[in-house]
Amino acid sequence: MITQNVKDALKEIVGEENYSDHVIDLVAFATDASEHKQRPDCAVWVTSTEQVKAIIKLANQERFPVVPRGAGTSLAGLAVPAEGGLVMDLGRMNKIIKISLDDRLVVVQPGVVYADLDKKLAPDGFFFPPDPASGMVATLGGNVATNAGGIRGAKYGTTRDYVLGLEVVLPNGEVLRAGGQNIKSSSGYDLARIFVGSEGTLGVITEIILKINPKPTETATAMATFPTLADAGRAVTQIMRSGILPSVLEVMDRLAIKAINENTDLGLPEVEAVLLAETDGFTAEEASFQIQKIIDLFKANNASSVEMATDPAEAAALWAARKSVYSVLTRLNNTVVVEDLAVPLSKVADTLKIIEEVGEKYGLQMPTVGHVGDGNLHPGVAFDRYDEKQRETAHAAAAELLGRVAGMGGTLTGEHGIGLAKAPHMHLEHDPVSMETMRSLKKLFDPHNILNPGKMALEA
Amino acid sequence: MSEYQFSEKYRDQLLRCSSCGFCRASCPVFNLTQRPALNARGKMLVLQEVFEGNLPLDEELHETLFQCTTCANCSTHCPSGVEVPTIIKEARRDLAQAGACHPTFIGMDQVLDKYSNIYGEDEPEDFERERNQEAENVFFIGCVGQYRDEEPTEATLDLLDHLEVDFTLIDEVCCSGVLEDVGLSLKEPLAQTNIERILATGAKRLITACPYCMRTFQNHPAYAPLKEAGVEVVHISQFLKDQDFGVTTDLKVTYHDPCDLGRHCGIYEEPRETIKKVAPNLLELAANREAANCCGAGGGVRGAFAANSIAMARRRLEEVEASGADILLTECNSCVHNLGNAKLRSQKFQIFTTPQFIHALVEGDLD
Ligand SMILES: Cc1cc2nc3c(=O)[nH]c(=O)nc-3n(C[C@H](O)[C@H](O)[C@H](O)COP(=O)(O)OP(=O)(O)OC[C@H]3O[C@@H](n4cnc5c(N)ncnc54)[C@H](O)[C@@H]3O)c2cc1C
Ligand code: SF4
Ligand code: SF4
Repeated sequence: MITQNVKDALKEIVGEENYSDHVIDLVAFATDASEHKQRPDCAVWVTSTEQVKAIIKLANQERFPVVPRGAGTSLAGLAVPAEGGLVMDLGRMNKIIKISLDDRLVVVQPGVVYADLDKKLAPDGFFFPPDPASGMVATLGGNVATNAGGIRGAKYGTTRDYVLGLEVVLPNGEVLRAGGQNIKSSSGYDLARIFVGSEGTLGVITEIILKINPKPTETATAMATFPTLADAGRAVTQIMRSGILPSVLEVMDRLAIKAINENTDLGLPEVEAVLLAETDGFTAEEASFQIQKIIDLFKANNASSVEMATDPAEAAALWAARKSVYSVLTRLNNTVVVEDLAVPLSKVADTLKIIEEVGEKYGLQMPTVGHVGDGNLHPGVAFDRYDEKQRETAHAAAAELLGRVAGMGGTLTGEHGIGLAKAPHMHLEHDPVSMETMRSLKKLFDPHNILNPGKMALEA
Repeated sequence: MSEYQFSEKYRDQLLRCSSCGFCRASCPVFNLTQRPALNARGKMLVLQEVFEGNLPLDEELHETLFQCTTCANCSTHCPSGVEVPTIIKEARRDLAQAGACHPTFIGMDQVLDKYSNIYGEDEPEDFERERNQEAENVFFIGCVGQYRDEEPTEATLDLLDHLEVDFTLIDEVCCSGVLEDVGLSLKEPLAQTNIERILATGAKRLITACPYCMRTFQNHPAYAPLKEAGVEVVHISQFLKDQDFGVTTDLKVTYHDPCDLGRHCGIYEEPRETIKKVAPNLLELAANREAANCCGAGGGVRGAFAANSIAMARRRLEEVEASGADILLTECNSCVHNLGNAKLRSQKFQIFTTPQFIHALVEGDLD
């Protein structure tokens, strides 16, 4: 509980207009895009590093939880104030401080929305590549704190690969400036990247320096259907070792296709798997040379149909099915949990099989899509959250799936993070030594456990 | 679990909101305030809590439930297809039923019991025209055009004369559809009056200046007798599309899609076709058609949250400034009114309704 005195002190720091304990704000800040919920005691909208500093000092002194928050689009409960306390909304720190094409970098405040940066960079032909599907609303601070990725991960990597430097308010109220404006550096421990994917548990990110890339101007797109999962899996492996690096390589499985067909008028062929590939480059020849190679490999692996798009309208038609998936899933029932497994590339086909087996065992349909170019698969489970049995079954299936995937060397999460949803399963992937190292690190930074407590199984 | 109508009727939709937060990108109230409790997700979460019995439905919730312009920008882009404005309107009805309607609208309801218009005015502007004549068309002005923004109305009527349209005004009363948006009910006696007066003219077409009046005439059961009598209801922008004006201008113009005409009725191209006939230099605003940002006036927000309403209009005008247009056109008196109030002196563009603009060109008042 946060006392009235502390609440008054918070108002003093941010101003009345940037403080609230109104029930509508508490409800809005109680959750993110996951199924987890817990109301905070109060909330602030910070507008400067100084304010963040003052609040963190106060929290350390008074020992109340502080949960940094961007757009609240986390799918795994990362932004949920699991132990109440204060939600610190960084959305109003949304200035793009500097764009330097000469240095190939940008300096931004954490509340800048991914899409807003993209719009600013586009006219100059540059971009910050991770491109999460939530990019029209998710913040760059959230992207850094979750190590966000997207469909272009195989070719362009994830947020981690672009973070050059950070300003972070540490849990003791000191301001750390880690990294800098150098494209390369081997100087000391890589402190900036410790905060990438740290889920708001180690410090509050107040400024971000990101590397940016020139954006390829041409793309080519192809879609293929496969009679068996094994054929699609082999096609993926052969593409990934062919020397061609697709900018996108997506899979949709039989149940995803079925769900799309039952809920849209797209009328896809009822096959075992669909692969969607995109290649990019700076000339049309470059993009189409690469897509041609991929099409050859589709065909060599038994594709039952192959379609290619040469202009944006045709490409949009090929993308329509893939883009409809989230929307289809959310309409199947009142709750959908999207898993986020990632496995070594050679294990994609096996993993799709495992997902089907687990689904069958628990009597669930788990339509799956994924970024197979980087081994990241998103099986989705739709259920009625007001039916305890359904809820338990969905969670039991997820737990079994995570266990089997971790058992074959996969990871619990490719891009969404651990948060609350995956915390109980951390031990499946991380042995006692790595768990202890993570916990020590947390204690070193945040001895009083004020920052986003209850996440990532950091409390032994 | 609650006994309210919003959750009775729209349970599936309400619970289907996956709280993805994508409506942060489209909600004008959120874009202005950056306060998550005010966007569609915030509203759906609050109503889910009410549904689950964790939150009473009372005045505490006014700030979010009544601060929605019902612009439908959220629902148009919602991956889960949640009809947010419909659910909000039903929840407002539940609030009113529970005796917790927003005071602004209790006042409006009382005014409409006594007066024929939302402003409680006694003397309508007569626009120097005979009313209640026999004619092919009835032109229905609406409260804003009748009592607040008379200039565009005057100009539209003059344009209709210039085009030699056979039309008449009637002694119109408020369509009272707006009450339905704020949790109350349309006034049947007012509807009766309008219907009688429209039918008495023998007109086969009812042309409205206000997109909201049009929606009410077309969709509310109280106005069904119009349809039964074969009266076609169109908006002035649809009517003008087939007219020839004989004037053109090089002025750079841009167009604001009113939510009631655009997202609510799907009318995007007809107004543009009309505009292009007279002003080929039509520039698009950064957010246009399905993605157009709301002027901030709708859903009772101008009445209940005036400062934020104007501030939303101001944000829309920033887009107009960025477009470089000389003239901002729109098709709704309510939008014109709010945008006009929000315009800064330093902003050099002018704001007109399309008919008002065409009339000015015909009269040679621009260029
Ligand atoms: C429909 C949908 C699709 C999605 N697609 C993708 C996808 O393709 N790829 C992907 O990677 N993710 C995806 N996500 C998940 C989510 O959008 C990302 O995790 C995103 O990076 C979160 O950003 P946010 O601003 O919403 O952060 P929040 O959800 O608000 O916060 C996430 C975490 O970051 C911390 N945090 C936020 N800001 C700061 C800060 N300034 N300092 C310290 N900690 C901070 C929070 O404490 C929390 O732990 C998707 C989500 C949805 C709903
Ligand atoms: S209303 Fe729609 S867009 Fe907004 S959070 Fe709910 S599901 Fe997402
Ligand atoms: S209808 Fe408009 S104002 Fe209301 S919640 Fe949706 S986007 Fe916001």
